[in-house]
Formats: sequence, C-alpha cells, structure tokens
Amino acid sequence: MTPMSGRFGGDSSRDSLQPRVVMLDKDVEQLVTRFLVRKHAELDRLRAALEMSDFETIQRLGHDLKGAGEGFGFPELSILGAKFELAAPARDTTQIAVCIASMERYLTRLQVRYA
Amino acid sequence: MLSLQERRPPRPASTTMRIAILEDDVSQTELLSHWLQLAGHNPHAFEQGANLLRALERESFDALVLDWNVPDLSGVDVLKRVRQRLHSSVPVLFVTARNREDDVVTALREGADDYMVKPVRRLELLARLEALSRRGQHGQEQAEVLELDVYRVDCQTRTVLRNTAPVDLTAKDFDLSVLFLRNVGRLLSRGHIRETVWGPNAVVTSRTLDTHVSRIRNKLGLTPDNGWRLAAVYRYGYRLEQLDAAASQRATQTDDHKAA
Repeated sequence: MTPMSGRFGGDSSRDSLQPRVVMLDKDVEQLVTRFLVRKHAELDRLRAALEMSDFETIQRLGHDLKGAGEGFGFPELSILGAKFELAAPARDTTQIAVCIASMERYLTRLQVRYA
Repeated sequence: MLSLQERRPPRPASTTMRIAILEDDVSQTELLSHWLQLAGHNPHAFEQGANLLRALERESFDALVLDWNVPDLSGVDVLKRVRQRLHSSVPVLFVTARNREDDVVTALREGADDYMVKPVRRLELLARLEALSRRGQHGQEQAEVLELDVYRVDCQTRTVLRNTAPVDLTAKDFDLSVLFLRNVGRLLSRGHIRETVWGPNAVVTSRTLDTHVSRIRNKLGLTPDNGWRLAAVYRYGYRLEQLDAAASQRATQTDDHKAA
C-alpha cells in the first residue's frame, strides 16, 4: 500500500487545500499514531528553536524527519526534513519558517486510513 | 510501507537473528524494531553508543545496525571500538541519513560491512541483513540440511543423524543443537541462546539452559574424544568448537586428569 501522492508545499494550489489521504496496514496503526503525535509536538520545538536561533536543534529534528518520514509512509515529511537540514546550517530563517508552515499544513490535513 | 502479502511465516528458531540497533530517534527505532520483529528477528535497541558497547561485553549479537549521529559516541566510534578493542567480527550495517561519499567510505574503511542511507526500505534492509548473516556464517545458516563431521541435521524434518543413526532430541534440544552447529567456533551469550531457542519473552533459568546444553552434549557426543568441545565460558555463555586431532587428544588428557 502506498501513500496517495500529491503536491507538497504549494500554498496556493487547490490540491494543497485537500486532505492528504494515506492508506496503511492496520497493524502499524499504533506505531504510526505515536509517530504523528511526536511530529505534531516537534512543530512546537521547531518554532521555539527558530525563535531562539537554535539552528542545531532544527538541523537535528530535520535530520530525524528525513530519516523516518518515508519509512512510515510519509515521503513528504522526508523531503521536508531534508529541507530543514539544509536550511538550518545556512541560518535561512525564511526557509525554515516556510518549512514549519508546510509541515503544520501537511500534518493538519493528513488523513491516515488503515486497512 | 508494510504489506500483508509480504509477511513471512514464522522463522525457524535457528535462523532468527539477534540484532542490536544503535539509534537515538525513537520513531526510527520503533520502525526498525517493528520490521525486524515482523521478519521473525529479535531486535535490541540502544540510544547511546556507550550502552551498546557495555552490552557487547556480555552479550552476543548476530548483527549490529548503527546510526551515525547519536549522543555520546558516534556510530563510527562504536564501530572502531567493536573492531579494535572487542576484536569482534560481528556484521555491521550502517543505517544513517548521512549520504556523502566520504561518509560511506569512512564507515566501510573502519569495518562496516554495508551501508544504507535513510530513509530505508523494509525489504531491502532485511535482505541486506540476511546477506550479511550468510556471509558471516559461511553460507550455512539458511541451509535446510547441515552436514558437519559425523552430524547431518535436517531442519525440514527436524532430525539429527550422528553417524547415520538418528539422535532422539526434544524440540528445544533440536533448536539448541542447530544453533550451536550453525555457529561453530562462535561464543554465544546466555541471553542470545535463551532468546533464539525459547523466544524473546520466555523466562528460562540458567539452570534450565545448562541442563539442555548438558543433554545435547551427551546425546550428540560433543566431547573432546569425539573431536568436539561444547565449553561453558564463565559468566558469558557457551562455545562449540571442533578440535583438530592433537587438540582433541590434549583436551581428552586434561579431562581425564581432572576426573582423576
């Protein structure tokens, strides 16, 4: 079962307003639920780190997101993780803010269905 | 991600791998552990390199899966110590998001056996680990029929022949025999033996384990006068060794001397 594909990170596209539906096997439900709870919590950590100019934390969280996202069925999160990881050492606060907003939008619209 | 069709039947105890994972990201640890468990292996997770190194002093594993960026010691530091200080040849697979060529080269030159860049795919990870295990055990570990000296082990029919005569073994004694015969010369920790033969959640006392080992030693004749030694290693576990003629004679004389 593969996640439904869709455009990612486009603010103005109609597609970005639609829920992102991802189909996964039932037996990973608990695993994925815990993963998504952690990622929601990391949004706050990312915002706080950006405010404090703590680029090391942003880079580390991005690194983890890049490594784990696709394995859980969310390749978009891996792409975002890579963007955080690049933007952090460059201290690119604009790009980091865009990535945080994209991640929040993705997680908010994400609908995971288990079968 | 996971597919119901891809699931395998339960793995025979003798081909279960005990795998240590060094990974500080909880999500990644959970995912890797889940994949390995689904495939019938026994994962053990460590968040810090120092903890893994301590475990390696008292426990054996069939493979290590190392992340690079972890707190305290990095995966490469751990790898160096595993190879240089512990003199261990345990198969090591790096699983890391570091994808630069010089990272890959460094890990391989320090003694890693394989390298995967995150995000990793489940079936590829399992296939690579199984390939490492095959190479580490001379291609015998997956074989349905094992032939060693006077022993012929058929994992399909779960029978052991010694000099063509069948040996009467319980199910656990059979699994234990196969584990040792597939790992000749290798020191196996008690935890490793318990987990592989009885399963990860079984409560098995040291005495029970010793009793089973003693029984297969007698039933299979794994003694120096037969060219074999199934030796206990104090506070660690057991090692099955095949002795050459001279060593066999010396060991028999030592045993006779002890008995006298």
